[in-house]
Amino acid sequence: MTVPTDQHKELKKDVTFRIFRFNPQVDSKPYFDDYTIPVERGITVLRSLNYIKEHIDASISFRAFCQAGICGSCGMRINSLSQLACTTQVWDVLSKSKEHGVIKVEPLRNLPLIKDLIVDMDPLVGKMKHYSNWVDSTMPEASMGKKEFLISEQEFLRYDKATDCILCASCVSECSILRVNKEYVSPAVLLKSFRMNVDSRDAIHEQRLAELVKDHGVWDCTHCYRCQETCVKSIPIMDAIHGIREDAIESRGMKDTSGSKHAEAFMSDIEKKGKLVEATLPIRTNGVLWTLQNLLPMAVKMIIKRRTPPPPPLVKSAKGIKIFREMFREMTEHVKQDHKSHKK
Amino acid sequence: MRFERMKPFDIVIVGGGGAGLYAAMEAMKTNPSLNIAVLSKVYPNRSHTSAAQGGANAALANKAKDDTVEMHIFDTIKGSDYLADQDAVDVLCSEAPKIIRELDNIGTPWSRMDDNTIAQRPFGGAGRPRCCYCSDKTGHTILQTLYEQCLKKGVIFFNEYFALSLSVKGSRSRGLIAMNMKSGKVEAFPAKTVIFATGGYAKMYWNRSSNAAGNTGDGQAIAYRAGIPMKDMEFVQFHPTGLRKSGLLVTEGARGEGGYLINRDGERFMARYAKEKMELGPRDLVSRSLETEILEGRGFDSPAGKYLHLDLTHLGADLIKSRLPQIREMSMQFEGIDPIVEPIPVRPTAHYSMGGIDTDNFTRTVMEGVYAAGECGCVSVHGANRLGGNSLLDILVFGRIAGHTAAQEAGKFEPGTISEAELTAQYDDIRSFMHSSGHYERYGELREELGQTLGTNVGIFREASLLKKGIQDVAELKERFKKVRVFDTSDVFNTNLMQVLELRNMLDLAETVATGAYAREESRGSHTRTDFPVRDDAKWHKHTLSTQVNGRVALGEKPVTMGRYELQERTY
Amino acid sequence: MKRYAYYLSCINESMTKEVDRSIELWQKELGVEFVKLHEGTCCGGSNLDYVSPKHFALVNARNIALAEKMGLDLIVSCNTCLMTIRTAKKKLDESPELKKEVNEILKKEGLEYRGTSDVRHLLWVLVDDVGLDTIRQKVKVPLKNYRIAPFYGCHILRPSTVLGHDNPVDPSSLDQLIEALGGQTIPYKHKNRCCGFHTLLVAEQESLNVAAEALQEAIEAKADFIVTPCPLCHTSLDGYQAKALKNAGIESSIPVFHISEMVGLALGYSAKQLGIKRHIVG
Repeated sequence: MTVPTDQHKELKKDVTFRIFRFNPQVDSKPYFDDYTIPVERGITVLRSLNYIKEHIDASISFRAFCQAGICGSCGMRINSLSQLACTTQVWDVLSKSKEHGVIKVEPLRNLPLIKDLIVDMDPLVGKMKHYSNWVDSTMPEASMGKKEFLISEQEFLRYDKATDCILCASCVSECSILRVNKEYVSPAVLLKSFRMNVDSRDAIHEQRLAELVKDHGVWDCTHCYRCQETCVKSIPIMDAIHGIREDAIESRGMKDTSGSKHAEAFMSDIEKKGKLVEATLPIRTNGVLWTLQNLLPMAVKMIIKRRTPPPPPLVKSAKGIKIFREMFREMTEHVKQDHKSHKK
Repeated sequence: MRFERMKPFDIVIVGGGGAGLYAAMEAMKTNPSLNIAVLSKVYPNRSHTSAAQGGANAALANKAKDDTVEMHIFDTIKGSDYLADQDAVDVLCSEAPKIIRELDNIGTPWSRMDDNTIAQRPFGGAGRPRCCYCSDKTGHTILQTLYEQCLKKGVIFFNEYFALSLSVKGSRSRGLIAMNMKSGKVEAFPAKTVIFATGGYAKMYWNRSSNAAGNTGDGQAIAYRAGIPMKDMEFVQFHPTGLRKSGLLVTEGARGEGGYLINRDGERFMARYAKEKMELGPRDLVSRSLETEILEGRGFDSPAGKYLHLDLTHLGADLIKSRLPQIREMSMQFEGIDPIVEPIPVRPTAHYSMGGIDTDNFTRTVMEGVYAAGECGCVSVHGANRLGGNSLLDILVFGRIAGHTAAQEAGKFEPGTISEAELTAQYDDIRSFMHSSGHYERYGELREELGQTLGTNVGIFREASLLKKGIQDVAELKERFKKVRVFDTSDVFNTNLMQVLELRNMLDLAETVATGAYAREESRGSHTRTDFPVRDDAKWHKHTLSTQVNGRVALGEKPVTMGRYELQERTY
Repeated sequence: MKRYAYYLSCINESMTKEVDRSIELWQKELGVEFVKLHEGTCCGGSNLDYVSPKHFALVNARNIALAEKMGLDLIVSCNTCLMTIRTAKKKLDESPELKKEVNEILKKEGLEYRGTSDVRHLLWVLVDDVGLDTIRQKVKVPLKNYRIAPFYGCHILRPSTVLGHDNPVDPSSLDQLIEALGGQTIPYKHKNRCCGFHTLLVAEQESLNVAAEALQEAIEAKADFIVTPCPLCHTSLDGYQAKALKNAGIESSIPVFHISEMVGLALGYSAKQLGIKRHIVG
């Protein structure tokens, strides 16, 4: 075993933190302040911010609490990526900085700005309430405390990962749809909704789902995977979103919403032709009237450019479609069997 | 307008962690017509309850069929080094199975046994495996669930409000005064009852503490300044392996899997202290061993202080990756060190405060209508040393009792009125730190020095001359604090101001910790006096009480409630 | 000549025919041959996976098995098809039970999913297999006067656990291709952002605004055109461009090219040959 017995000297690098500043009481618009400090290996962005606040400029405002990656307070954008300041090593970020020696620190997006790096979390809490992000127990309050629910480890594992969420709002900050619509449910709230929906102790699954399939809900997700990619707890958020959709189609039927109709079209087209029939997708999703109102002007241009997808009869089936269909239907039988044994 | 006045509340709960949220939930259940508010300086789901990984003890007997409440009671009393009040421990352990089941019934995720009951695992100091858990995130999932349930019940939250003081008239509280962080306004919360549930005070050890930055004992300090006594403040638990730079915990798992503790001479020094158990000796013994190595000059030196090595490199990459992935991730994230390649720098770190606001078994303080629960209060169930898995249990059981008691007793009290003059005084007081003349001290320096003197003089090993120095240092820091400067003069989210006020709270409580430690001339549980190395039941089998009189600590005492188990030597 | 099985994406068969037409023009010149997989079926377009996870596995196990039968890697020129088929591959490779169930059915057609063929994007083949040096040598008409905004799209980058070729935070393969062709890439924040395609029929306003932001940045940066490796991004950014920009109150426009067309242009083919005239934005 080799153990260094000499006291090592820590190598330091000069790092410039370019910090987003905005104080609503005095500033008409945000600006950046640069602070250059020496930083040794092993120091996190949060410790650097603390150092700057304690020694250089006490007015820099940011939230921090546990400093251990579990409370979710210090979510911010570090070199444009939403993450926790307390779990982010300065030297790691530095090695990827566009501008040599500079780390840019900005508040999370898609939540109202309060001051400097602090954003308002109330809209997120409001959505948690709106989508009933709690278990509404099947057990009456008066009977509680007497015995446990019997729940399999297998069921626990269905929501285990989802309960890792610390509501740091990094996913909220990175969401493509929230950028353009602040009413959108939010990835974190979808994740929590999923977690509640797969809990057998919960009694309001249907009610929650009914809310989730409405406008600004689960069908508005555009599958960009930014939420999942940025998640500081590496939670597969898209699996949860897809889980809600699968559940919605299964328990509420295909015809329920435009989102489910759109999704279902893929299934039926593949079975029929092995190919997607794009020409009628808008009509099947949103009906004739919507399609005429929304897509007619574009359709004209597309016809001129010969860009329109072929009408259904002209969509050539994939080669060998016959045997493909047989196999597809055989799988349908498997799925039916699965459902039966699942229900048992 | 600089002030805001709320309509009177039946119950104002200060703190939104496990104890505060359970209190709110239980109070609404007890009497749904009550007007209840929860104030928290952070969003409740950020509270430090989330950091508790291990679990909560309850004799459910899911794992060990022969486990009983009585065995849990005995383990807790023995663990406390016989300083816990035995009737309080009875309440804690008897209520435990019920509270865990209730948490399950409202939707808390738990890991499960093969027979689908709640999973339990062994924990230090417990005769049976009775610690109920959810992976390594038990506190986090309990906190989330309680927060969700409070949202469901429509509890009124005042998030990011910093509590300043109790408004007291004679022997009665009229309510609470707090600062709204978002606006900077000082707001009055007239209330029939107030429950303090603000967590512990171990952050006063600053970089030598595993606690969240905000575990600054705000509730205790407010109560203390309002004349309510603190109990057993000298008892602070240390964990042997905190990271050198941040104080964050490296869990026992690292040593359980075969990690070595190494000093600068390359020795596995635990051979000197626990020949057989080596690195796996009891927590307090290992802490003392690390501290001895450092004190005797066998630690490594660094600008962040002296430290030792927790070496996992011999375990190999495969084992570290498969069995200790979280410890590896944490070392890399917080210390920038990959334990596959090099040893983790560690030193003992302050972890839990056993002391707190003195309460009875119903969480009542000496002031009518004021209650305290969780790490903030001291019933006392942990005595001189807390067992792992009992802290989550404490906040749940006594949070619930606090909510129930306050809901039942609120009707007895009239809501007071808090005068404009009182608010003005508070406002002027906190703004005074912004004056440039005579204010030049930097809070960061004072905070750092406080942590250092406590770590050195009121740390793991205590001795009269060190403690005297500690008391003197704290007194000097309190003087210097009067000249502290808040540089950020804005109203909106002034974290500079908040941190200065937190420092004031820590300084007030540090005085009680050091004074209590100086007075207690014995070694018991977490309190180790090198000049009085044995437990002295004849003189010191009693609680210490600290009350603020004319700005100074006045010490008192209170007998320990016995009745179940006689005093014995504590050996494992 | 390196051979690959080439997956026929539904959209390239109908709306964006120019993609495959362009590839056919230049493939031999770059020493690659893409053998069209006419038996392949729709991948499910990032929807079938949750509508019916098992059909999703079957359909894509079959798509990959067809390539495996030929002993070739499967090449895809649509981001979503890429992500979808790779997701299925990952699930099949991680679950022996699923693989077994699917193979029982595939037997009917004499197919077996073994997991031997890789599933890769056209862009990756150009950058990694053909190589940037070869491309540089073959360029006849360098794109040296063009400022180009590289729009990667989502499903060639994310989830990185499935894709893993580029760093999703700061991708570079498309930038490298542009530079090899003699063009100049502009700094473009939207390079790894979303085009909004997948919600065009479900949440149209949101999708249009997402597309408009990406277009606006390229327009304001004075890019000559946007280039994308994905026909779905192309449809959103080109097909819906007029609507998106009008909706956002922006009076301007910007052409959007497929990577296959951009390669064709640099190799000296005309806009007409490449089918660029088929674009909505001229």
